[in-house]
Amino acid sequence: MPMKHDNNWLLSSKGEKRGYIQPQLLHELWFHTGTSCNLRCPFCFEGSKPGDDRLEFLTLEDAKVFIDEAVDLGVEKFSFTGGEPFVNPHFVDILDYALDHKPCLVLTNATEPLMNQFAKVKAFSAKPHTLSFRISLDHPDPVKHDESRGKGNFKKALDTLGRLYREGFGVSIARLMLKEEDSKAIDSAYLPYFRRAGVPLDVKIIKFPEFHKPGSMPHVPEITEDCMTRYLSTSQRDGFMCNYSKMIVKQQGVCGVYACTLVDDDGNYNLGKTLKEAMSVRVMLKHHRCYSCFAYGASCSEGNCNTEGKEGEATACSA
Amino acid sequence: MNSLMVRRVIFHTDQLFELQLERGAVTFEPGHCVALSMDATESRPYSIASGTGEDILRFLIRRVPQGLVSNWLAERRPGERVQVSAPFGWFAPGRSATEEQSVFIATGTGIAPFLSYLRSQPPRLPLACFYGVSYAEEALGLEELRCVPHFRLAVSRQTIDNAFVGRVTGLLDQLPLGPGLHYYLCGLDAMIDEISRWLEKQDIDFTQIHREVFFYADETR
Repeated sequence: MPMKHDNNWLLSSKGEKRGYIQPQLLHELWFHTGTSCNLRCPFCFEGSKPGDDRLEFLTLEDAKVFIDEAVDLGVEKFSFTGGEPFVNPHFVDILDYALDHKPCLVLTNATEPLMNQFAKVKAFSAKPHTLSFRISLDHPDPVKHDESRGKGNFKKALDTLGRLYREGFGVSIARLMLKEEDSKAIDSAYLPYFRRAGVPLDVKIIKFPEFHKPGSMPHVPEITEDCMTRYLSTSQRDGFMCNYSKMIVKQQGVCGVYACTLVDDDGNYNLGKTLKEAMSVRVMLKHHRCYSCFAYGASCSEGNCNTEGKEGEATACSA
Repeated sequence: MNSLMVRRVIFHTDQLFELQLERGAVTFEPGHCVALSMDATESRPYSIASGTGEDILRFLIRRVPQGLVSNWLAERRPGERVQVSAPFGWFAPGRSATEEQSVFIATGTGIAPFLSYLRSQPPRLPLACFYGVSYAEEALGLEELRCVPHFRLAVSRQTIDNAFVGRVTGLLDQLPLGPGLHYYLCGLDAMIDEISRWLEKQDIDFTQIHREVFFYADETR
């Protein structure tokens, strides 16, 4: 059941009306496959690690219900995140079913769990819809990547990136966004590794800001109605993930529909048991990670969002 | 999360021990791991070494210097309880055994998933098992392993009868090769990298090489 909302759900700490998104059309449906992961990265905003069960493994039976409902609602794409999706013993079957219906995107660390199931993954190139992978390469420096993810894992991920591309799958990478970084220089530093992997040099690079641990409450500016209309255009507001996307999460044996991929640690954002129900719920931009979407754009999604980061303007909204 | 009672802690060396827990209602497949928790925040994954028909869960654990969880587990006494996650895993030794033959290669406590397989009344034994340890007393499960048609033990820091002296990678020229063979590697990342590269050079397809890497995380963190 969706949680009863806090008293400050509608109003900011200063009593101003919170900014919100009224969802329009379900374009993309995300599935959280569970917080169990083969790695234990200190910065993981999901708190994922081996055996973690804050969010439980989704089963094929769990996923089928939402895949079918989403198709009826006109969804265009399914995306999967974790944890590491390939740690979930049901994941390959879920992906198999989803690829019969719509294109799919999988976020993965591209290490042993995927490598060990590569034969099954290869077979998906014959499915009716396309499959893409977004692989975590946190830094263009293998040493820095491996400091968090374990020795040798940059090389493994890069190697798997190349193998997936050669099998005809779409590929992109995800990296950490550093404070006051020179984004162009950092992106360019990946080029020698893209050459080595044999992938195109214009592989899409998705940058993630610091999202903090699940349940943390870092201080960020609050987003008010005024912020949303003063600093963002209509198309930028439409680019918020909660406008066109939802995420399925399983906790304590029950699946719920959450507003987006970043708020699964707050029951306020469990919007219902069906997609139809969840799409009717106005999403208040109260979570500290909503500010990342406001300031930097909806970086979780690929190709669905025309919002460009408005950091300079957005930080002025600190009501 | 299960709370399971400690049955025994058996030290094979100062650093290497077997933790035995009452099994409770845990069900698993050979190759599965569980996370063993010291408290609400610190846990580490360990492969199950027992057979699926046994009434205990066995874990082969090496004490890591300053390691939080491994040292805590080493100090458990019979009757105490340990928090155990649901089994999980992406490594399935012998999963292809009903149709194709397998070769197992392990170093150190990386033998655990293979012992689990051999102790689970498998439909077919692997064609070969190569096992590397530093000292003879660290070689565990030899009774089961000697049932494998081509079992080779490599001991790197000691000379003993019936064992190769050196690292397990020194036995590569004896490794059975064939297009239908599946290779299961478990242990130190350096061994897995070296043998994976070597197998691919011998035209073994990437999809027939299965890996489980231990020790890549900083246990003291």
